[in-house]
Amino acid sequence: MNNVVKGILLYVVGWAAFHYGLFDLMKPKEFSWIANRYVYFLLFVFYCIGFNLVLKLKPPISLNGLVVWLLGLYFYTNILYPPVPWTLLITYMMLWTIGTFLYISQDPVTFAEFRKPIVKTVIGEYKIARYIVFIALPLLVGFGTYKSLEPKFEEPVELRTVHPAPPATTKVHGKSYKLEGLQNPFRTDEQDNYKDSFPFLDADKQEYMKSVTEGGTIFFQNCHYCHGDQLNGQGMFSHVFNPTPANFVDPGTIAMLRESFLFWRVSKGGPGLPNESTPWSSAMPPWEEHLKTEEIWKVILFEYWYTGWHPRTFDEESSSGGGE
Amino acid sequence: MLTEPRKKVRQFLVALVMVLIVGLPSVVLAQEAKRPDPVLKDKLELGKKTYFKRCVWCHGVEGGGDGPSADRLFTRPRNFIQGTFKIRWTDSGELPLDRNLIDTVKNGLPGSAMPAWSNVLSEDEIVSVVQFVKTLVQDRDFEDEDEEVFIQDFGKNPWGTTGPYHLGIPQADIDAGKEVFLKNKCFECHGGEGRGDGNPTMKDDWGFPIFAADWQQCWNFRGSRRNHYDPFNVVRTVSTGMNGTPMPNFKDKITVEDRWKLAAFVNSLCPRKKIDKLASKPINDFLIKSKFTKGPISTDFNDPMWQAPDDDFTIKSRPEGFTGKKNQRWHYVALAGQITRGDRNFKPKVDNLWVMSNWSEEENAVYYLVEYHNRFLSIDPAFPDAVAMQWPGQLGDLYGAEKPYFIYGDAKKPVDVWKANFLVKDYNDTNAPNPNGYDLDVSVKEFVGRGFDAISDKETPGGVTVVNSKYHQGRVKIMFKRSLTTENPDKTDVQIPVKAFIPVSFMQWSGWDKEHDEHMAISTWCYTILEPDNPASMVYMPPILGVAFFGFQMWLVWMTKRTRKMAAEGKVK
Repeated sequence: MNNVVKGILLYVVGWAAFHYGLFDLMKPKEFSWIANRYVYFLLFVFYCIGFNLVLKLKPPISLNGLVVWLLGLYFYTNILYPPVPWTLLITYMMLWTIGTFLYISQDPVTFAEFRKPIVKTVIGEYKIARYIVFIALPLLVGFGTYKSLEPKFEEPVELRTVHPAPPATTKVHGKSYKLEGLQNPFRTDEQDNYKDSFPFLDADKQEYMKSVTEGGTIFFQNCHYCHGDQLNGQGMFSHVFNPTPANFVDPGTIAMLRESFLFWRVSKGGPGLPNESTPWSSAMPPWEEHLKTEEIWKVILFEYWYTGWHPRTFDEESSSGGGE
Repeated sequence: MLTEPRKKVRQFLVALVMVLIVGLPSVVLAQEAKRPDPVLKDKLELGKKTYFKRCVWCHGVEGGGDGPSADRLFTRPRNFIQGTFKIRWTDSGELPLDRNLIDTVKNGLPGSAMPAWSNVLSEDEIVSVVQFVKTLVQDRDFEDEDEEVFIQDFGKNPWGTTGPYHLGIPQADIDAGKEVFLKNKCFECHGGEGRGDGNPTMKDDWGFPIFAADWQQCWNFRGSRRNHYDPFNVVRTVSTGMNGTPMPNFKDKITVEDRWKLAAFVNSLCPRKKIDKLASKPINDFLIKSKFTKGPISTDFNDPMWQAPDDDFTIKSRPEGFTGKKNQRWHYVALAGQITRGDRNFKPKVDNLWVMSNWSEEENAVYYLVEYHNRFLSIDPAFPDAVAMQWPGQLGDLYGAEKPYFIYGDAKKPVDVWKANFLVKDYNDTNAPNPNGYDLDVSVKEFVGRGFDAISDKETPGGVTVVNSKYHQGRVKIMFKRSLTTENPDKTDVQIPVKAFIPVSFMQWSGWDKEHDEHMAISTWCYTILEPDNPASMVYMPPILGVAFFGFQMWLVWMTKRTRKMAAEGKVK
């Protein structure tokens, strides 16, 4: 059998075995040093090099170039995690294509070898290939022109600032608060002491849990519709709204904010946002319209207790511990 | 060598074993009484901890379904005390299996506030919390000697269809399923076309009002197990009934084979849409495309220009003989209760609208057809049903992505609201299904919103009309029309440009549920665009470029041949 055909066959069969067999085994839920997707990819590359060396196939440079290019495509579309958006993928693949060309044109001999099948197609030594290429490409160009002229309308992308800069002071229920240094009056003790306490059951015995229970009660009467029973921003109405409600379990929200910031955001809601945060489409009510000041503080206390995050404080600039 | 009779005995034994192997599992599953799964005592400590952190807020300290959130939820949280569980594999009235409860916790109950916990809790926590919930059952005892459970026989999917969309069931079986539906009078509760619009008077075991499922929105099936189009879910519910609700089982009235056909019919009604697994809802369409027409637009719902399949055509191809406009489609707009300002609505009855649009160059007008499911309409003139479209009143003054506040605008940026109030003619919510549908008595109100508490009627309306309307088998259809431009003396009518993204949002009021003013269902801002006609260059540019490219190829051939010839003659290297 022709070495090229043999090589292509081994690539296809090997890739199928790797991709559909080994890939799932190599990425268990628990990430480890051996069993992970990158090691898997390395193994596949070793396989590709290995069988060519062992069988002494000496593939032509055009096949090598193709395989190198496809390996890059496979890496960026399937291996790299988290997956990259397609705009980035195109950028990466352009760089990768340039790299592949450098590899092909590393010396005149390989480049001439690479050029050979193309030239043969052009001058008609590969007759069938020539007819296919010369008829299909103009049709493809025509079709591409048609597609690019067809008007297409996708919804506009809108950017917004998720955590805008807070004002220096805020006025809630007629009382003015300076946000700098403002503390939650119900944070009377170290939160971690109540990790294993029960809401409701321990509310009579522990002052802190009484506040948590009251905060949770308010949360589950008002907030869960959007922020979710799991505080993950997946409440029963959350899919309706754009921007989507905040996910408190995520390390990027309450875990990196001060309680005073939350107090301002909760009290003033969507309409209190600056324009860069799209106040017109935020479904967050100005909660001072529905809740008392101490109820707002208790909800905030509850959100930290439930998620296990600690609020950012004024003396230390980083949040610690917590998370689900 | 075996003798002849011995051979016969052996053959008989082999046959017996075969019969037992094939038949035994179904016999055991279908008939043999089993004790309910006992409470695993060693799991209770973890179960209690999980329950009091995660579940108590809705289900209450004693599991009475009376946690702080309960009064503001429709459907209410489950009351565990009686041991009444809806989604089971066991017979009507019986306790559930552990694995049924575990599946409920893992997948949640779509269409209610119960979320899927499988991404949040560990397997051990889920098993444990189920054990703890079993101890909250007071009126019955999972360890009682008299408690028995019969696991029902559900048969097997006869078509071998697979998820997520379970397509490819033969039409003949679906039609046979419809016969089962008619014969067993499922329409008495579920309505003539399965939108749950049959019976407004139903109550659950605790006396709370309850509605039949809307089969055309299967993503809200409580027992869907997040596999929304799987006919097994329907077979299970028909076989076991739903404890605590008026839904009985039909295991003696409908054979297992027919239950699968019925399930195929029920699932065939549900549009195939891409479902967001986290929300268990179809993915929103945030851009409503209005299709171009040169001539006038038909106001007939059945005209081809208003036809589009309910299914996403990338999932399920258009039916054969479909005559509608190419690319015309329904846009799915999700609604939520207006829970932000003023008199909040925590229990909206409608959670989505379907919108289609056409515009006419000749008429200089745009048409929006808005449809939604509502089980029962109001007959009380004080609380008419209504649906509205909301627009920025001064579109030209908005900069970039800027919009008015989504609930009736704000002081600086007014909104233009087109509201269609309507009452149904000759209708009563207890009527039998009426295949002819009902006409609506519609009156259009246009008003200006400068905040949810600052709404005023327009003194010079912009001429919005409702050109056609109908209420048919639980579905409201309203077709709005307005000219693209108006005289606009008060500068609050939206002036609709072509080929521009225009913010639009929707509001809906269920008169039957006494919704009014800001106590309503609402969508967020989405966009609409009046698509221009296809440019003429689409006709002539492709062949020109194709021919030009062919010429380029010919030039390449000529160049290559020339170079080779020169190389052969030694002129170049």
